[in-house]
Amino acid sequence: MTNLDPKLKKMGNYASIALVVIGLSLIVMEFFVHRHGEIALEDLPIFPVVYGFVASVFIVVVGIGLRVLLMRGEDYYD
Amino acid sequence: MTDLTPGLLMIIAAGAVPYLPHHFRQFFMLGAIVLSASSLTAGAGVHWSVPVFGHELILHHADHLTLPFGIIFHIAAVLNVIYGWHERKAMEHTAGLAYAGAAIAAVHAGDLVTLFIWWEATAVTSVFLILASATERANKAAMRYLLVQVASGVMLLAGAALYWRETGSWAFAAMELGSLGTGLIFLAFGIKAAFPLLNGWLQDAYPEATVIGTVMLSSFTTKLAIYAFARGFAGTEYLIWIGAAMTAFPVFFAVIENDLRRVLAYSLNNQLGFMIVAIGIGTELAINGAVAHAFAHIIYKALLFMSIGSVMYRVGTAKATELGGLYKSMPLTMIFCIIGAMSISAFPMFSGFTAKAVIMKAVGYEDLIYVYLILLAASAGVLHHSGIKIPYFTFFSHDSGLRPKEAPINMLIAMGIASVLCIGIGVMPTQFYQILPYALDYQPYDASHIVGQFQLVIFAMLAFTFLMRFGFYPPEIRSTVLNTDWLYRKLAPWLVLPVIKSGLAMAKSAETALVSSAQSIMRMTKDMSNHPISGPVIPGPAAVVQVILLAMILAVVYAALG
Repeated sequence: MTNLDPKLKKMGNYASIALVVIGLSLIVMEFFVHRHGEIALEDLPIFPVVYGFVASVFIVVVGIGLRVLLMRGEDYYD
Repeated sequence: MTDLTPGLLMIIAAGAVPYLPHHFRQFFMLGAIVLSASSLTAGAGVHWSVPVFGHELILHHADHLTLPFGIIFHIAAVLNVIYGWHERKAMEHTAGLAYAGAAIAAVHAGDLVTLFIWWEATAVTSVFLILASATERANKAAMRYLLVQVASGVMLLAGAALYWRETGSWAFAAMELGSLGTGLIFLAFGIKAAFPLLNGWLQDAYPEATVIGTVMLSSFTTKLAIYAFARGFAGTEYLIWIGAAMTAFPVFFAVIENDLRRVLAYSLNNQLGFMIVAIGIGTELAINGAVAHAFAHIIYKALLFMSIGSVMYRVGTAKATELGGLYKSMPLTMIFCIIGAMSISAFPMFSGFTAKAVIMKAVGYEDLIYVYLILLAASAGVLHHSGIKIPYFTFFSHDSGLRPKEAPINMLIAMGIASVLCIGIGVMPTQFYQILPYALDYQPYDASHIVGQFQLVIFAMLAFTFLMRFGFYPPEIRSTVLNTDWLYRKLAPWLVLPVIKSGLAMAKSAETALVSSAQSIMRMTKDMSNHPISGPVIPGPAAVVQVILLAMILAVVYAALG
């Protein structure tokens, strides 16, 4: 996150705030829309919210672990 | 005229491409593609077959499954011509047109031998798209790519021969696993579809091709394999689990890969997984899902490769560590890239949503809960590496200081058309579903589905924001991430080279021993002839040799008489 120009940083802040607002309103919408999925588990309250967030964090954490195992120098094959 | 195999005209036309002047050549190629596409109107049935050695080679067979692939392959070919319009050298154009033609002809093959011919033709034409990079690195990658592709073709031919012996038929129709013949055919398709562990060639070769070459490559080879599975192995249960693994594991690699075209190659692999799962289920709904996804995927994947290709064309690299902050200098490319990103991430109103929804419905309908959960997590993963990582590290993130010009107009037009198609498929699902193999009465847009999908993608994005803000997101690092091509680039040489080396060393020492013993015999003979130990003077080496031979004969005779 170094070397960010101030305008980009500002844009990033606005985008983050917008995302949080949209996210919260999507949770609120659960009360108004009868949401149901293709499998029973999906019908649990705010299931996609939790699953989307947790799965993403899981993927990144595993990715970081994989780096230790599989990352080599750029000229590894040369 | 419409009896001619679709694609064949493109292959023939490719022969003339190197001899035509630049702009005329592009129009000529577009003309060849349009003429080739006119064969798609022939309708279902066998339109052209040739008897060879008592067998019918079915060169043009069409039905409800070939049509959507025929259409999308022609669209991709047109996009490629427009995207590459600026390129004056003929090599990529020639190879690209022939390659697209071969893939289209393969889709219309009615028997396994015809399929094999076009299967190999896609390999030998497409390799030039990698060779056109003209670097040593690309040359090596091209040779590895060719080896793998040709191996797939050889397996297909061997499988076809065995299948013919088992069943007496060459016909390319639904097959059952369980014999060596069908097993080999399955494996041949699996290599081209980049199954887990057989996928190394894809991420190895695609990012080494030229800017235009990678866009061309992304459309045909793997989707031809998807078509082949849909025709040959629909309903094969193994495919469900293979596909689920395919959706999951490239995601982790994509998160940590630095070369953005390689990231896209991983994400391509992950998208194929969704189609393979659907083919494994094999119901009409699922096959519709696989075809819909292949159709939508070809466009948004090409769009993503095009946008990163445009950046590479302008600044010479596609590495995340070298890019960033290009939103100001390449704003249109950025918009197109984001449309591709939202499509692949399955945002409602974009093509990925209307296509993937059919697959998810089919999986849910079969009550495959674990598979469903894997696909859902993989969808979040796609959003991460293709939906966010690609545009974020290219156009935002830190400022690389690069201030290139916007992409050339022809590239912008190609990306613009692809973007319109992505959104069109997203907002008009009913019309889109009409080209699918089976009738589909399904409406992806209801309040429940839209809210659920938005919850998934927005909270996956929030996870990214959260990880980024708190410094948990893995920074981009100049690196090589080992993939399954490591098995034949490093492991196999490590295992095999010592064996070859020790074999050579043994042969060398045996040779030295032989030479030195021969030399010592010669020396002994000379010594004996020059310095006799006793008796009369022996008149020369010849006599000594005779004495030795006589002694040997005596010894043999004694031994024989025993």
